[in-house]
Amino acid sequence: MSTTWLPCGVYHQNYAKDHAWWQTKFIKGKMIMLFIILFVVIPLFADSYCLSVCNQVGYTILGALGVQLLIGFCGQITLGHAAFIAVGSYTSTLLILEFPWPKIMMDYGIAYPLSIIIAAVVAGLWSVLFGLPSARVKGFYLILTTMAAQFITVDFIITQYVSQIGGRGQAFSLPPGTIKVGPWIIDSDFKVYFMMLVLVIFCVIIMVNLLRSRVGRAWVAIRDNDISAEVMGINVVKYKLLAFFVAGFIGGIAGAFWISNLAAISPEHFPWFWSLWLVGVILIGGVGSIHGTIFGSIFMVVVMEVLQLAIMPLADIYPKLLMDFLFIKEAVFGLAICLFMMFEPNGLAYRWWQIKNYFNLWPFSY
Amino acid sequence: MELFLMAITTGIMVGSIYALVALGWVLIYKCSGVLNLAMGEMTLIGAYVSLSFYSMGIPFLPALFLSLIIGLILGILTERIFLDKLIGEPVLTVIMVTVGLSFFFKGMVELIWGTDTRVFTPPVFSIEPVYIGPVIVGQAYLWSFVAAIILLIIFVCFFKYTRWGLAMQATADDEMAALSIGVSARFVYAAAWAIAFMAAGVGGTLLGNINGLNISVGYLGLLVLPAVVLGGLNSVPGAIVGGIAIGILQNLAGAYLDKYFPGGIKEIAPFVFMVVFLLFKPHGLWGWERIERV
Repeated sequence: MSTTWLPCGVYHQNYAKDHAWWQTKFIKGKMIMLFIILFVVIPLFADSYCLSVCNQVGYTILGALGVQLLIGFCGQITLGHAAFIAVGSYTSTLLILEFPWPKIMMDYGIAYPLSIIIAAVVAGLWSVLFGLPSARVKGFYLILTTMAAQFITVDFIITQYVSQIGGRGQAFSLPPGTIKVGPWIIDSDFKVYFMMLVLVIFCVIIMVNLLRSRVGRAWVAIRDNDISAEVMGINVVKYKLLAFFVAGFIGGIAGAFWISNLAAISPEHFPWFWSLWLVGVILIGGVGSIHGTIFGSIFMVVVMEVLQLAIMPLADIYPKLLMDFLFIKEAVFGLAICLFMMFEPNGLAYRWWQIKNYFNLWPFSY
Repeated sequence: MELFLMAITTGIMVGSIYALVALGWVLIYKCSGVLNLAMGEMTLIGAYVSLSFYSMGIPFLPALFLSLIIGLILGILTERIFLDKLIGEPVLTVIMVTVGLSFFFKGMVELIWGTDTRVFTPPVFSIEPVYIGPVIVGQAYLWSFVAAIILLIIFVCFFKYTRWGLAMQATADDEMAALSIGVSARFVYAAAWAIAFMAAGVGGTLLGNINGLNISVGYLGLLVLPAVVLGGLNSVPGAIVGGIAIGILQNLAGAYLDKYFPGGIKEIAPFVFMVVFLLFKPHGLWGWERIERV
């Protein structure tokens, strides 16, 4: 964290200040501006379409945070994160639909927030279960076990068994009014937006705080070299499993949040593609950086929306394009990952860092 | 008993196709250290190309041969355009490039050929079943098995006895030593990708003959992963044994476990098996155990 650039003459007298969040007045002002934009400007001026894009960005950030933790900070490559998001989503949905909540809890809107917490814990534990092989295997083999997590969880357990609970068929639809937080019924993009903001900020705070504590330093040590981490006295297995738990926890929050935006959830919302998409997001944003997660999410969602907007007018001339959009999206996503890996392997966060450095010393960059 | 024999026979026959594709995968990994997740899409491309030639009216064998040539060209192009620049990069980078490639290929296949199931018309192999003792086998399975075995033998002979094959073995064994005796590593990488593309294309074509061809044939590329993990990532005999073992395992699971776990147990069994297997034997049956030093 001490990579923050400080103006001339500002020194830290103790470690607490060195790790503080907002170290200068400028950064403080910048962050307050950001919050004003997020909480006031966007809700006031954005239309429903923009808000829905923002919600997608938020969902992607929540999903990608866990992947970033595992890949970027703990070095455990995972290609099955959608499974944990799915577990969170289904746990929350099932709790709302099937659990006999006392009426007073439904009325005061405690049921849904409570189900988010339970869903997050369940997803975290499920993630630990599939993180267990990480005690013995690493690298490519771990990739395979996380992939297996995806197929076993989503394609088998959820599709074949969980979806049958209650006899609703493939998709679980949530009756309107069941998703209620406190006095507010979450039923429009506007309300989902605020919920998204709160959850994203909450999760980012969790992540940043973990990363600047002992736990985060242990994770980074494991990422850099697990053998030397063990020699230094870090309990590697414990911290790896903790990383899986936190990643699953945040994934569970993401999944439980997203049901507020979906009218119905089905296994098709959590394909393997989505796991890979999240990994692609952090690679494009920058591995090992919280900024990178956010930049990557914004970049990918916005690029896909722009692509859609660009293709829609053409669809009047070639109606086939509308059907093929999904395939074009896949191909563009694949190509984008390849090109980023080849030409910008450090991702957007690195570019951002370079721009900041340039302006720090501007206009005399020597 | 008959069910058991049926499952085993079908397993061996389908497994030989997996073995063929797994061989291509291992080849890429041995020669260039790339862990390839785009194998399934490579099988798709090969299969669709040969299907296109076949439906143009070209007989099956020449069509297969033409698709091999296209696979060769595509393999060399892929290696030269995408993978050549990434030699020596971290594992995650290379893996994600292959993931990106797999999406790119898949999107392209869907754009060009659509998502409907297509079959080889007229059927290449007659649908009359063959009786081997008490076991009934479809002709498509039998001929696929024969073709896969012939190709496996050709590939193994290629590595053992030809100049290029020996060059590839040398590079796989010790890249630095191979370079110093005048083997061109770039040539070997390109050759490995070309051969893998061709093997994948044949595998895809054979599978397409059995069940009809659609995007789900690309799932084969994922099944290759349990196969190579079982055999050890860098062992050619391991790939063959692993492929056949996964084929048998899949069919046994389909035959016996389907009663208890209805649904997709046949697709999931190899992965469950792989996770359990990894816990006990992380380096596969014949993989190299690398000693790590700080």
